[in-house]
Amino acid sequence: MPEKKLNIALAGQANVGKSVTFNYLTGLHQHIGNWPGKTIEKAEGTLYYRGYTINVVDLPGIYSLTTYSAEEIISREYIAKQNPDLIINVVDATRLERNLLFTLQLLEMGKPIVLSLNMVNLLKKRGIVIDTAKLEKILGIPVVPTIATQGKGLTKVLDSGIELIKKEKDAKPIKYGNEVEEKISRLVKKMINLKLNYSPRWLAIKLLEKDNEIEKLIKESDFDLLKEADCLRRELEKIHGHDSSLVIAGERCFLVSQIIAEVFKITESKNKSFNEILDSIICHKIWGYPLMLATLCFIFYIIFSFGGWVSSFLENLTSSWQLIWDQFFGISVFSSLLWSVVESTLALIGIALPYIIPFYLILFLLENFGYLARVAFLMDHFMHKMGIHGKACIPMIMGFGCNVPACLACRIMETEKEKFITGFLTTLIPCSAKTIIVMGLVARFVGINWAFGLYVFLFLLIFILGKITSKVLPGESVELIMEMPDYKRPNLKAILLQTWFRVKDFILIAAPLVILLGVLIKAISLAGWLDVIGSLLSPITVGWLGLPAICGVLLIFGILRKELILVMLASLIGTANFAQILSPVQMIILALVSLLYFPCVATVAAFWYEFGWKKTISVIAVELSLAILLGGLAYRILKIIFI
Amino acid sequence: MKESISLIEVEKDKEIEIVSIEAGLQATKRLFDLGLTPRTKIKILRKTISGPIEIELRGSKLVLGRGLASKIFIK
Repeated sequence: MPEKKLNIALAGQANVGKSVTFNYLTGLHQHIGNWPGKTIEKAEGTLYYRGYTINVVDLPGIYSLTTYSAEEIISREYIAKQNPDLIINVVDATRLERNLLFTLQLLEMGKPIVLSLNMVNLLKKRGIVIDTAKLEKILGIPVVPTIATQGKGLTKVLDSGIELIKKEKDAKPIKYGNEVEEKISRLVKKMINLKLNYSPRWLAIKLLEKDNEIEKLIKESDFDLLKEADCLRRELEKIHGHDSSLVIAGERCFLVSQIIAEVFKITESKNKSFNEILDSIICHKIWGYPLMLATLCFIFYIIFSFGGWVSSFLENLTSSWQLIWDQFFGISVFSSLLWSVVESTLALIGIALPYIIPFYLILFLLENFGYLARVAFLMDHFMHKMGIHGKACIPMIMGFGCNVPACLACRIMETEKEKFITGFLTTLIPCSAKTIIVMGLVARFVGINWAFGLYVFLFLLIFILGKITSKVLPGESVELIMEMPDYKRPNLKAILLQTWFRVKDFILIAAPLVILLGVLIKAISLAGWLDVIGSLLSPITVGWLGLPAICGVLLIFGILRKELILVMLASLIGTANFAQILSPVQMIILALVSLLYFPCVATVAAFWYEFGWKKTISVIAVELSLAILLGGLAYRILKIIFI
Repeated sequence: MKESISLIEVEKDKEIEIVSIEAGLQATKRLFDLGLTPRTKIKILRKTISGPIEIELRGSKLVLGRGLASKIFIK
């Protein structure tokens, strides 16, 4: 009787519908966590099928199985060490050639594999015909046409997978050219005594490709093998005139183009496709930019008018709660501390519900449609001036909603240096809470032009800081290499799920800290120490920045949540007419300092999580000194203008 | 000897064949993994004034930063 438990791994390149397949298979039985020791999402889920309890793991979307990025190492280590019973390789049928490059590498690992030929519904429209029977024969694995978005063909994928497992049939690798094959078999012969999880053939290929991780692994057990591999590599390089890793990758490309020639027929349609027409407008070298700006402005306009409405609705709803609380629990230290927990929770809902959630819904709608990749394309040149490339746009745009998920989104950058620069600049992006301050203080009491000017100044500062950090930090900048996805009809389920994951990040990382610090500040205030802190800060706040003494305390609250600066000010002076206590210059300075001085505690947590404490502290130090320096200078300049 | 031309000098909509890639090993390897190798036929889909270019190769579309594109040569 066979065990009724199975492990299945989903593998494939980015943008092939792997997540959609995963969601369809596992539904709500999924668990999203991180890969051990890595900040890379690991999605795992359970599926019950034909009496089997199947554990499904969604491996990160990757381009190849050579060690380029952490995602790729994770995937291949998982395949080798966890030894899944089956790998489902999801490929985009319309881009079969590029996808097969990865499939060939999977085959080399020698596990049972089923090819899920996804998006077959798009083939006819593009004039593509794929001979699946022939493809099956060449690859030697089952090929099942699927439409993951509709769930079509997925049970057949599972059926043929279970069939394979029963037969214990591993995939057979495709053969390279004679020269390479001869070297592989020479290495394989020497591996008889080697006890590793990887298949010998795969190890041999990786050695010929000079894969650092694998070399390290083998060095421990068999040093002679490395010497032999080195020797063979040099032979290959002598024949081909370039690096051996390129020789093998080149052969793979050649093999794939041969397969494609056999199974893939395309009849070119004369009419321009919808996709091309749309791209000729959206990516136009001149008109693309105003269009992008208009789109983004429109989104922010919608979000802030909608958000303002929802937020005042929520405020009205909960305004009397504190009174009820006090009547119910009485006024004591304990009940005040407990109330501060409720207050923080309400405030988090008050920013998440009206601003963050709608923002991500729209953002992921745009991503799903394919627009964000176009934004990265359009912005690449500009971003390069800051030492990062076009993809950095995506976390930075996310930052306008909330800096917390934006910091976490910096993972999409390839190198540590670019990731850090993007993260650093992202913490300066005016999130919805910072926007509330600028709008509620400067736009309302000083004039919309000044609010606008403040934004222009901030963006200029971000640009200059990017330029400086990219010059100062060691390491090379990487060029943009990005796949351009076709426009797609947005998938509502995917958008909702993605939004939910971002909001969950916000809840899990931000909320506990905000609530904890909220209680702490409440305790300090109950002990009567707030004024002490305020007067300790007054040489800076009053002497240098020219603000009223009360602002020192406000800025402390602002670390908790930026919008508290306004909320606390209103409650301390007993009115929302800030003109009573602040002059126009002071309003601008307070807004400017609020924008710069400190990432809110939730962002600090996210940044720490993503970059470690050293980088977090240095970012805070830089931002704090910038805020003090620029705030003081601005005060002295504005004083002259406003006389 | 024929002078080699880099990708950024090629006109839009033209179909061409890659001859050599003179970028760093990491970037070159990445391009190979994506199927961009010497002897590959590609088409320039879109160019920006001083930014990246978009190409079509092996049935998919790829965006390359300008600096990288200038290190990819055709005949």
